[in-house]
Amino acid sequence: MSSLPDPALPTRSIRRRVAALLAAATFAVAACSGAATSAPSAAAPSATASLVPAATASAEPSIAPSPSPAFPVALTDDEGTTVQLAEEPDRIVSLTPAETEVLYAIGAGDKVVGKVEDIANFPPEAKDVPVVSAFGANGVNVDVEKIVGLGTDLVIAGGQGGTPQDAIDKLRSLKIPVLVMYAPNVDAVYQDIELTGDAVGESEAADALVTSMKSDFDQVAAATAGAKKPRVFYETGDQPAVYGIADNSVYQQMISLAGGEPVTTGSATSWEMPTEKLVTADPELIILGDAAYGVTADAVKKRPGWAGITAVKNGAITGIDDILVTRPGPRLGDGLLLLASAIHPEVNLPVPSPAASGG
Amino acid sequence: MATRQDALGAARAVGWSTARHRRGLVLAVGGLVALGVALVLAVAVGTVAVAPGDTIGILARRLLLLDVPRTWSATAETIIWDLRLPRVLEAMVVGLGLAVAGTTFQGLLRNPLADPYVLGTASGAALGAAIAVLIPIRIEILAFGLLQLLAFAGALLAVTAVYRLSRTAGGSPMTSLLLTGYALGSLLAAALAMAMYLSGAQLRQIFAYLLGSFENASWSELGGATLIIAVGSVLILVRAKSLNGLLLGEETAAHLGVDVRRERAILLALASLITAAAVAVSGLIGFVGLVVPHLVRMAVGPNARLVLPLSAIGGALLMVSADTVARLLGDLPVGVITAVIGAPFFLFLLRRAQRGYEL
Repeated sequence: MSSLPDPALPTRSIRRRVAALLAAATFAVAACSGAATSAPSAAAPSATASLVPAATASAEPSIAPSPSPAFPVALTDDEGTTVQLAEEPDRIVSLTPAETEVLYAIGAGDKVVGKVEDIANFPPEAKDVPVVSAFGANGVNVDVEKIVGLGTDLVIAGGQGGTPQDAIDKLRSLKIPVLVMYAPNVDAVYQDIELTGDAVGESEAADALVTSMKSDFDQVAAATAGAKKPRVFYETGDQPAVYGIADNSVYQQMISLAGGEPVTTGSATSWEMPTEKLVTADPELIILGDAAYGVTADAVKKRPGWAGITAVKNGAITGIDDILVTRPGPRLGDGLLLLASAIHPEVNLPVPSPAASGG
Repeated sequence: MATRQDALGAARAVGWSTARHRRGLVLAVGGLVALGVALVLAVAVGTVAVAPGDTIGILARRLLLLDVPRTWSATAETIIWDLRLPRVLEAMVVGLGLAVAGTTFQGLLRNPLADPYVLGTASGAALGAAIAVLIPIRIEILAFGLLQLLAFAGALLAVTAVYRLSRTAGGSPMTSLLLTGYALGSLLAAALAMAMYLSGAQLRQIFAYLLGSFENASWSELGGATLIIAVGSVLILVRAKSLNGLLLGEETAAHLGVDVRRERAILLALASLITAAAVAVSGLIGFVGLVVPHLVRMAVGPNARLVLPLSAIGGALLMVSADTVARLLGDLPVGVITAVIGAPFFLFLLRRAQRGYEL
């Protein structure tokens, strides 16, 4: 240490140097990335411009392109992004299970070339469609390379993190049109179905599907009108804590529409249901949306502090097909019928079979 | 008598050092060949099969500007050029950068457990990334997203804070730097834990950053990172003499004519810049920066002039190989693969090292 020069002076100049180095580097990122962006964007058009025609040509070499009158079309997705579609897509990738169902329900199933992994495996016709997105180690893994390799000309993705934003950005940078859909309520589900119809040239089929779904909803509304609304707790999970439904969620809306009085967590963001709050709300019916994951009425009865709840005392605990109730697709009407018949067993409603198809 | 001893010692030293140099040269050539093979293999494999001839044709046409006749589809070109190549090159550059930064930090701090993340860069970058995920706005400055920008800024801010705080602390400068880094890192980790706790549905996004990945590599991102890492690595390499001096201890270094404070600050800033650029584009990938420098030192001894370039090659090789394996196994976290490949190899060499291995 003794051999070092007076610390006061060099310290300052070094500090300034370090600061200058860091500042220069920060600027360098900005400067060089500006240069770097122009290079690939100049190179990209040659690669991507021929991509769509080449892909469609290889898919249906014998059919001459006869653009339907609805195309080209400009559509606005649920995030407000305007997406241009030059011609009717015939190689579609669906990145949400609900959209896979919608595409098959409106007669565009034969154009689906890739899909997201679906635990419900619905519809059965989609069984052999290649999976291009699955749950992996770090969340949803979208295989962009596979989507490109399939010659995809339309991707329908999920909003609010359903599809990773990075994957959406990457697909768009490769000039593949991406429609992002996110339905926070039942009306938005109708809108998404109609948007999908417009995007794939099946607007009429989409309208017909929405009409038939609305008739299911009307049927339930008519059947449960005037009936007493029981307090309903809908359980969405039991690990590590008990989870119910948040305020303003689609669950809350569905229970209301099915003629129940939803017991919510009282927060729009938290789904965890504190036992004290649940006991205070005293639900008359407990619906186990997590029944498919092994939660049983017996297990619920044994939970500490739950014995005094009216629903537990009366044994009013029932399991339900959670996917049918909450998947924002064509079977939502079936889900509502299922929910309504669980809440109002006294009302005679057509109960859909577990594998009911949409519409 | 004395002169004969000196002459013998000098001769032995010269012989020793030439042997090591020769060994280093062999390793460098071998490493570069292996890296070349790994790069081509990495570009040639993926979820979509592209014929090896087409892969080489595309690379020759786009990289070497050769007039190769086009026998491939535009889709194949997009996959090779826009998806695989930037990713593979980014893995190479990040691996190189982390290994060079690791060598520098280990030498600078004279601590075998030092790695590029030791002075708070990792926790600073992670907190920056988490904040970017939680802020509900999406901006893009010159093709860099908010996440990359805040991760980069977070890493640099953290290391600058550690440096400045350690200057006012008592004790040996290197010890106080390490301890300050540890203390500030813990504080930032607590903030990160809080951010993760509050993140709700976006937790996966933060978690994905912590695991690290090259999934979202693009040409623009690669350009920015390459510039900083390449310039930083070259500037460190020309300071190899100072690094050698510092490895002998501060007083010895000062006697050798090294301006200890100045050189230390510059090396620290350069290594931190490289680390910040690497973690901004790829997230936190451990192990490469810690172990590659040790592997190289076991082979060629502690001379930084040899260790720095060989670590650069080794880091690039390990990262490209690990990322290719990770990609083939369905996008596993690359940090898991670097450890699985590297740790057993490291343990094997550590056991085989005849003399006790030291920095």
